[in-house]
Amino acid sequence: MADTDAAPPRPRFLRSDGKEKVTGAGRYTADLTLTGQAFAKFRYADHPHARITRLDTSKARALPGVVAVVTQDDLPDVRFGGLVQDRTLFAKDVVRFEGEIVAGVAALTEEIAAEAARQIEVDYEPLPVVSDFVAAMEPGVPPIHPDLASYEKDENVVADGNTMAYSTIVKGDADAGMAEADLVVRGRYVSDASQGVPIEPRAVVAQWRGDEVTIWSSTQVPYAAREGVAHTLQVPEANVRIVVPLLGGGFGAKCDLHFEAQVAALARAAGRPVKLVFSRREEFTAIAQRREGIVMEFETGVTREGRLVARRAKLVLDKGAYCGEGGFLGQMAAMHACGPYVIEHIFVEAFLNYTNNQPSGSVRAPTAPQVCWGLEQHMDEVARAIEMDPVELRRRSLIEQGAEGPTRQIFDEIGMKRTLERAVEMIGYERELPEDEGIGVAVGWWPCMPASSGAYVHLNGDGSGTIVTGAQENGSGAVMAMPMFVAEELGMRPEDFTILYQDTAAANWDMGSCGSQTTFNSGRAILAAAADVREQLLDAAAEELEVDRQDLELADGTVRVKGSPDRSVSVGDLAGAGTIHGKGSGDVPEVPGGDTGGCVGRLGNETFLAPQLITQAAHVKVDRATGVVRVLKVAAAHDSGMILNRSGADGQVTGGVVMGVGLALSEGTQLDDEGRQRNPALLDYKLVTSADTPEIEVDWIQVPAKGAGPRGSKGVGEPPQVPTAAAIANAIASVVGTQVRQLPMTPERVWAASRGAGA
Amino acid sequence: MSRSFTSAGTLDEAFAAIGAGARPVAGGTDLVVGARQGKAPLPEAIVAIDRIEALRVLDDTGGGLRIGALVTHEDVVASAAVRSRFTALADASAIVGSHATRANGTIGGNVMNASPAMDTGGPLLCLGATATLRSASGERVLSLDELWAGPGATTADAGELLTAIEVPAPAPGTGSAYVRLEYRRQMEIAVVGASAVVTLADGSVSDARVSITALSPTIRRVAEAERALVGGDGGDAGVAAAARAAAEGAAPISDVRASADYRTAMAEVVARRAIAAAIARAGGGDVPIPASDALYGA
Repeated sequence: MADTDAAPPRPRFLRSDGKEKVTGAGRYTADLTLTGQAFAKFRYADHPHARITRLDTSKARALPGVVAVVTQDDLPDVRFGGLVQDRTLFAKDVVRFEGEIVAGVAALTEEIAAEAARQIEVDYEPLPVVSDFVAAMEPGVPPIHPDLASYEKDENVVADGNTMAYSTIVKGDADAGMAEADLVVRGRYVSDASQGVPIEPRAVVAQWRGDEVTIWSSTQVPYAAREGVAHTLQVPEANVRIVVPLLGGGFGAKCDLHFEAQVAALARAAGRPVKLVFSRREEFTAIAQRREGIVMEFETGVTREGRLVARRAKLVLDKGAYCGEGGFLGQMAAMHACGPYVIEHIFVEAFLNYTNNQPSGSVRAPTAPQVCWGLEQHMDEVARAIEMDPVELRRRSLIEQGAEGPTRQIFDEIGMKRTLERAVEMIGYERELPEDEGIGVAVGWWPCMPASSGAYVHLNGDGSGTIVTGAQENGSGAVMAMPMFVAEELGMRPEDFTILYQDTAAANWDMGSCGSQTTFNSGRAILAAAADVREQLLDAAAEELEVDRQDLELADGTVRVKGSPDRSVSVGDLAGAGTIHGKGSGDVPEVPGGDTGGCVGRLGNETFLAPQLITQAAHVKVDRATGVVRVLKVAAAHDSGMILNRSGADGQVTGGVVMGVGLALSEGTQLDDEGRQRNPALLDYKLVTSADTPEIEVDWIQVPAKGAGPRGSKGVGEPPQVPTAAAIANAIASVVGTQVRQLPMTPERVWAASRGAGA
Repeated sequence: MSRSFTSAGTLDEAFAAIGAGARPVAGGTDLVVGARQGKAPLPEAIVAIDRIEALRVLDDTGGGLRIGALVTHEDVVASAAVRSRFTALADASAIVGSHATRANGTIGGNVMNASPAMDTGGPLLCLGATATLRSASGERVLSLDELWAGPGATTADAGELLTAIEVPAPAPGTGSAYVRLEYRRQMEIAVVGASAVVTLADGSVSDARVSITALSPTIRRVAEAERALVGGDGGDAGVAAAARAAAEGAAPISDVRASADYRTAMAEVVARRAIAAAIARAGGGDVPIPASDALYGA
């Protein structure tokens, strides 16, 4: 594989958590056992939408072995949520989806806890269930949150009826643009909801000591969890410590506050530690983090030469019952309905609607894979309409340096078009294929997320070092790579450092393992802390060696005089007094400006900082008689700026593509008429297996990103999943002769589309 | 919650436990997984029979086959006798669940679980296999038709244990195949499956057996499909007619896995492929095991 911009040679690096994970020695949250611990179980709603008329916990409390029962009546009357605070820890008066928690129980055994949860008596007055997220916004449909107007919310949220947030992306005059176009092409696409499915189900253990609580949790966002516990239980953040043992995957599904506060409340009531471990079913139904269903309508005005004159789009998204951290999803989806294209006039609107379905939230590149899947099929339809090769249409219309984004942000040097050419080259776009095989191409983008972060680098008396970071390791290796970067700054070896991480009592606030931001923001902080150490070492060595600082360099675990390596002092000697401690945060990059004045519901995604740019090409084989699709190869060419850790970055693309194959072909949450999940289990929610994994070829277009991440880098983790389903969709369409308009593109849907095309 | 667990070293110990009300468990790939999914709680009493070596033997009886109840799918696929003369069974055992399922799951468990979606059921039924049931008081032999009573139900008494599956020697010139609709390549369950056992003599089909899987309450043979083949030349027209008849014999449902319409259409496709593969094998052609993989390509 060509590595066009070779990184400096680097010694072989083994991540420090690798061996324990591979051998099974590693300990995850569910592996923790505390003396005297009790076990938690939740009582879930018996209706997807109902008013609670009676809640009687007396039988459960009387059951021998039960040590605590908690309902919302026992807790502060506060609501939580990101942009809209619309939820309480336990149901207050009304249940709004099947996974709503009515009460929590702690007991000496799991079996007693389960029995006690069953014995809680709840009477309901059923309310009309709103599961269809498009119908949810029609006049006359009862509101799911009648008190929405009075909830605390972000001042930029535009809410109305069951629409929790309405957002638009506007540029120029879309009507005029359509009138000017040679052709106007329309397309409608529908994506089902899907799930993140980390293999480790959620687990939480809470233990109080006086007024302070320590919570071990399988979270991607320990600081957000700390804020959530402090807010909902009304205790100071200083009294809440979140510790994350090894995390068994997240994919976004373990973002946000998730059950830490309920377990802490149970532990406080029980006067003993309490442990919660989710079943796989709960991991599907009770979490408030899934990929949202979306109905997309695109309209593009184009000239015969492939100039995109105008884009209109209407997106309706299923928010589910509560906001959670996903209040921004509509506006993010709207940006992806524009895509990384030069379009002269734009009007895109997004409705993020409440329903009685499971709440949706961030799952790896939230909204982007579904909207990209719709838009990129639509772009292939546009190409067909003007009788132009779809790659050629993209060649003519993708963004490049100096181009204008959807809100007139001007791009610096970017590798978008180079990713297209490279992916097309890797897949062999022009070659002849058997009639049941096809190639599809799709492009996508994803912003970098600027956030504050902070880190410490301590040198110990023997010259070893400890890195203290708030960053969360989700499995990607982003945190595990930190010793490599620090060692390079200090002329030391990666193995000289250990990492203290995933403990909110030890390190600075960090956004968590989300938004592809760990290397981007935490890496910046760690490099700043290492630079601080470097300065201190240079000062100390200059004094020790009686030379000018300018003449010194750090290498081989020493500070030495340039050109006279025998005049040196070891880092161990300099650090002997234990006084060398570095700290750093670095400067948070600024989101670029644009002409955003025409947009409604501006929630911060109107422009994209240092966009990560992607082209993927998929080669598939379609069994027309059954609709079964096998993905033979995916070629992925990405601009993520400079790549700091090639093996880690490649791993993210491999995993993202595999996840994308699942999203494309088999992963979909099916709902009944009342919003209950019909396939909340791994037998019928079909992840792809290693046997289904295609050949994946990866290359990086390394363009140094200005004003972005450390050493010219951008994020890496989310983009790999953005265009995979889209590329597969276009490949399928090239074989069956028509687009498959519903995601996932299951065998039955491909078969039905194929028959429709043949008729 | 399970109250007692016995590990039997011999058949007599197993019958003692079963007589006292215990349910047998071998690989545990149905019982334990089902309990975890909340399908049915674990029985109050369980007797593990996995240490009874006598049940672990796969005997090539010189033409026929005797498969001990504890023979795993992995053992079945590895058997040269199965691969050469009872190929449909190898097709099926090769695609049950995952590597782990095949290493732990047993042929006896598969048959006695009586799922209408079990992979090995169709091949065994078409190959004319019988089930040997033993109890403390004696032994009886049932055809699989007689054994399976409905989804998850058999006619075995509570005190009976399946000890072996016996498969008679196929006639010379016989080929067989099992094909399943597969959404993914591992960890799959049959949504639609079909088995065919076809004997060719002097260029025509002298005997044919065709069954459908996951398309009716129990796996069943479709006589109309078999009639459409027998006496014919085994060419495309006959195969297509038999496949249509097999699909007409289905009683499909609509559920989370597929609509009834799709199941019916796939019954025809999958039956056609199974029959064609069986005929090809009967004629000495090489269709790799498992046939499902080969037919989907790549």
